[in-house]
Amino acid sequence: MDRLLFLVLGDDAFSDYIQLQVPINFLKKRKRRKKCSNRSKTGRKTNQIQEAASMATAADGVAAIALCPDVAVYWLNRGLCHFKRKEWAKVEEDSRRALALDDTLVKGHYLLGCAMLEKEQCALAIKEFNKALDLLKSSNLGDKMAEDIWQVLAKAKYQDWEIHSTKRVWKMQSLKEACENALQEHHFLSGTLVGDGSTNEYTDQLKLLSEVFTKATIDDTPTDVPDYLCCQITFEIFRDPVITPSGITYERSIILEHLCKVGNFDPVTREPLKEHQLVPNLAIKEAVQAYLKNHSWAYKLN
Amino acid sequence: MTSSSSPSRKALSKIACNRLQKELAEWQVSPPSGFKYRVSDNLQRWVIEVTGAAGTLYAGETYQLQVDFPEHYPMEAPQVIFLNPAPMHPHIYSNGHICLDILYDSWSPAMTVSSVCISILSMLSSSPAKQRPQDNDRYVRNCRNGRSPKETRWWFHDDKV
Repeated sequence: MDRLLFLVLGDDAFSDYIQLQVPINFLKKRKRRKKCSNRSKTGRKTNQIQEAASMATAADGVAAIALCPDVAVYWLNRGLCHFKRKEWAKVEEDSRRALALDDTLVKGHYLLGCAMLEKEQCALAIKEFNKALDLLKSSNLGDKMAEDIWQVLAKAKYQDWEIHSTKRVWKMQSLKEACENALQEHHFLSGTLVGDGSTNEYTDQLKLLSEVFTKATIDDTPTDVPDYLCCQITFEIFRDPVITPSGITYERSIILEHLCKVGNFDPVTREPLKEHQLVPNLAIKEAVQAYLKNHSWAYKLN
Repeated sequence: MTSSSSPSRKALSKIACNRLQKELAEWQVSPPSGFKYRVSDNLQRWVIEVTGAAGTLYAGETYQLQVDFPEHYPMEAPQVIFLNPAPMHPHIYSNGHICLDILYDSWSPAMTVSSVCISILSMLSSSPAKQRPQDNDRYVRNCRNGRSPKETRWWFHDDKV
């Protein structure tokens, strides 16, 4: 905080010096805080420290932004602090400012997406998360981040499905009722409401109508994802499927873990297997995408 | 010898948890024949009842299998033992430990509780005589303090039974 006071009091001669110094101190301080919060053992203590750190870095952020308002990363960092404190309106504001300055910030799109998801603006959230994933592909920020983004993307897709499917199911239900009423009226007017015992056109038609509507809503009914779209180790729907020389497809991250921890063999066939033999299974990847497009409930995570 | 006892009581990882929930759902739809598992709220320990197959030495007899899942299942094998009394079998020790390669060195993450159960039943079914392993007394003595069979260095010398 002393730097803030200094800023208020400081004269022009100092301003250039401060512009250079503050960001450096700001980073140094952040590193130190990170270390100390990692060191503490108890969760509660860690939370308190993190809270304190995020408040302090938010203050640092204010200072840094006041000095260099055209550096996107400062807005981003302050946005991250707000994110940790779940102040979503502020997250949105800061990530938008950051992105206005630099549209290629993966974390910026991630933060904005999270803020949108909080506001239940699923479509907008999905757009931001997809942008973040696209940008991530062309950088080398690591898998951990891709996993985080994928998790929130799946959450957004599932929420989006919930909202839309509720509407669709309700529309279908009222259409079904209208059809049933029309059918009843038709048979009432033509005197065929009660059949002659052996055949009853009316009840047959009612049954068929019900089947038609069941079929029409089947995509919106959560069931099990077909086995051929699921990894035989994780039992989850594929994200990044790779195929082995034995012809078995696995989720990339889990087969790599297997090769590293269990042994150099194909888990199903037990044939020898090395990492370089894994090949992306693009056909299955497309099949998964096509399936998810029509069955968005499959984005649901446990 | 340390007495680290039953598998590490560390909570299941997220991957392990997801996978076990799916295995459980699958088991409830189609359990392997000869096995019964009454669902409890402990996902990490399953106690499964196995009934000896008809036409074998164990026909009609029932035994209890205890399956404990490690934190990093299925990257690590579950610990599977028979609860007392363990069936008399050349590969099953009186303390319930089972000498079966897929439970130790030959574990593969593509195996499931179901497939392990089927292997154990098949091992029981092919038994020629109800007897204990030759080194039973020595082994059981060494295993006091509740040592896990996963800490044993197994020697798989007989693939006929």
